[in-house]
Amino acid sequence: MSIDATQAPSCAARPATSGVAIIGYGVAGVNCAIALRCSGYAGPIRVFSSTSIPPYSPILTSYYAGGEKSYEECFPWTEAELSDLDLEVLADCPVEHLDPAAHLIATPRGDFSYSKALIATGARPATWGYPADADCKPLVLRTMEDAERLKAALCTEPRPRVLVSGASMVALKALEAALARGCQASIVGVNPHVLDFNAVPETAARFERGLAAKGVKMRFGTSIASVKGPEGGPYAVSFANGESEEYDLIVVAHGVVSNLDFLPEGTLALDRGLLVDRFMRTSDPDVYAAGDIAQSRELITGESRIIGIWKNAALQGAAAGKAIAAELVGREPDGSDAFEGSFITNTIAVDGTLFISAGASTLTPERRAVIEESEDITVARIYERTADGTERLVGFNLTCDEDIEGSRAYDMGAILTMRIEKSLRS
Amino acid sequence: MMSRRPTIALLECSKSYWTLIGQCTQCGHCKKACESLTAADMTLGEIARALLEAERASTTPEELAANIGANPALVQAVRGCFLCTSCKNTCFAHNDVCDLIHAARVDFQRLGLIPRECWSSVLVDQEWDIFTAYRAVHGIYYQDLTRHRAWGEGPDGIPAATDCEVAFFPGCSLASYGPELTREIFATVEELGGKTTLIDSCCGSSLKSAGFYDRAEALCDRIAEEIRSSGARELVCVCPGCANAMRAALERNGLGHVEVIGLAAFLTAHGFTPKRELPDGPIFMSKSCSDRDGSCLEETCGLLGFEGQPPTIFNGCCGAGGAVSAFQPERQAAQADSKLSFAPDGSTVVTMCPTCTYTYAFRMMESPRAIANKHYAELLFESSFDWDTVFSNLNGMWYGEYGAWLAQVLG
Repeated sequence: MSIDATQAPSCAARPATSGVAIIGYGVAGVNCAIALRCSGYAGPIRVFSSTSIPPYSPILTSYYAGGEKSYEECFPWTEAELSDLDLEVLADCPVEHLDPAAHLIATPRGDFSYSKALIATGARPATWGYPADADCKPLVLRTMEDAERLKAALCTEPRPRVLVSGASMVALKALEAALARGCQASIVGVNPHVLDFNAVPETAARFERGLAAKGVKMRFGTSIASVKGPEGGPYAVSFANGESEEYDLIVVAHGVVSNLDFLPEGTLALDRGLLVDRFMRTSDPDVYAAGDIAQSRELITGESRIIGIWKNAALQGAAAGKAIAAELVGREPDGSDAFEGSFITNTIAVDGTLFISAGASTLTPERRAVIEESEDITVARIYERTADGTERLVGFNLTCDEDIEGSRAYDMGAILTMRIEKSLRS
Repeated sequence: MMSRRPTIALLECSKSYWTLIGQCTQCGHCKKACESLTAADMTLGEIARALLEAERASTTPEELAANIGANPALVQAVRGCFLCTSCKNTCFAHNDVCDLIHAARVDFQRLGLIPRECWSSVLVDQEWDIFTAYRAVHGIYYQDLTRHRAWGEGPDGIPAATDCEVAFFPGCSLASYGPELTREIFATVEELGGKTTLIDSCCGSSLKSAGFYDRAEALCDRIAEEIRSSGARELVCVCPGCANAMRAALERNGLGHVEVIGLAAFLTAHGFTPKRELPDGPIFMSKSCSDRDGSCLEETCGLLGFEGQPPTIFNGCCGAGGAVSAFQPERQAAQADSKLSFAPDGSTVVTMCPTCTYTYAFRMMESPRAIANKHYAELLFESSFDWDTVFSNLNGMWYGEYGAWLAQVLG
């Protein structure tokens, strides 16, 4: 699948009333467009995409690499749906510079003006911590191109010995893809356990037992120190703890970095991401931000954070679209248009071992974890002491030895997520 | 409706479909969590997609109805949904199946895709429905307990009260099939909570399932006005589904200060002691799917004196949800069987919602098994349901002197 780049105009700035610009063609951008149209906005929507690939689900890329999904299945929106949105998509047209004061977007095809702009450029994988002088260029997993590369590498014969560096969700998804392709897989992480920022040790340990049962070799509390070998491998990998092992393929999942290079420093209020209000407005009233580059209210702590999950990006994009549509007809957006905040939720299954979490997972002096272990499931509930001396549920994480859709583990995950929402409301 | 191109809006709820499409990754997990979605081979997003595709291919409502009707998978997915949220629970984005299916049912209803016989007896905003007819035929009335001014009418001979502390909402199944239990609970609620009035309406869930969403909300709005007129500051609900509907209605009507509280929580807060011993043998709690966050289950377990949570049957709906019984009656039975299969012989299954109790009782009448089926209120109070009598009454009322009248008003 690809976007027909010929549909894009060649260049030339349009009048200042040239409608809405969406920078980035992912879930946040698409949901912004949907909300704009659903709100009755009939004006032009121009989308700037740095690729020729239509919007896809980054979540499904590992399924594609692992063989569970076809390439076509990674695209949540059909051509007919995207056509209905009546977008002017500028494919392979990365934004080079945004000038909010002039309402101008600079691209290789020229400058474009806008009335309102949404920044929804997402994030890209980071490889910090991976040795700069390593002989092996690691693979990453984010885009469809990344998934294509990973798939090709995992499908070589004989099956490669795979090392995944990192212990978070993306790392585990890469691990899952490797296992699905019949590869011998290992994982290494600097923290003491897998799922380092999402699980308490007990649930992480149960997940690790599940991985071990599938033959995954794990090294935690260490990192890759060096990678030596000929081009194409095999590679001798030395770890910081003194161990070493040979691998054919290395995947690095060390977090992400926001795609905001086109934004001159000091243009918009920025922390780790762009600071936004409940209508996704940045410090410039005509520039909005949504998705992995937007820092909005995290409901557990009340702090402003990036929560890089699909649903968040969808809701934020929709909120931005509704607010933009309201403002373009001279109406101040109201509460029903707002994104009031969110908290992190995660669900991941690796070869039959299920992990679900929501809200807080780290312990502080005000928090305690209540752990329940049964034959097939470990549940950690995180309670936080409040100012009035009571406790509220602020998070949970659970690991189940089975991944059966519709099972008690999923019900429990949903129940506890709603309990957190309820405790936040009260 | 979406495009700048001029199109005719044939679907009333297309915004709901677009919202779902925007949020769905099409990962397919929801499909595996639900027998109906599996049978339809559709994800939630694909339901929305199929509706919009049908609209795209149509120029008139008649054509749209024909296009949707010609897609058996879509009809299965929309009409075969119990609204149990198993799919939502499995969806990592927690996309809301209820919003989607309720919207689709509204469009189905508008397009004449739900046959009249599937909903004619459950128009609970009309004078006569299956519950009011049952109560009329069998002389079940609560005028003496309905102390506030009923919406649009005043109870004969009883002055309207505006000084109630509590409004008690038993829900349609309990009020109809358990009159003694209803009265006993009412008396206890009043004893513990102060002057109480009875709201003996239905919360409208059957209207929503049939695609009459606006009418269901209007019904709840009328109930909210009844509560306003009573002056009550607490609404005690037996069924978690009623509580959900009324919580939303009160908020919508500026009555957010009225606390909606489950019966178990209310009784616990007032130091109530159960009037019965727990039954012998193992107890299996059956979580109601309308008890979305499990609060009712937890409060009930606490009131019944369980340390920790006893064995609990999750796994979706009892079979009564979503009016699936009117579409695929065999699936209601299968769903009830599926849930009851978790309970071994000699055990007691305890339900949260009286309609679940009814559904299990109905199934056990058809296919007897050596387990007891109780609503949680039956473990707390002396009165209980007499299902043999209820089913005999329900069956018998279609014959004899009321048969013709019933066929006329509910047919």
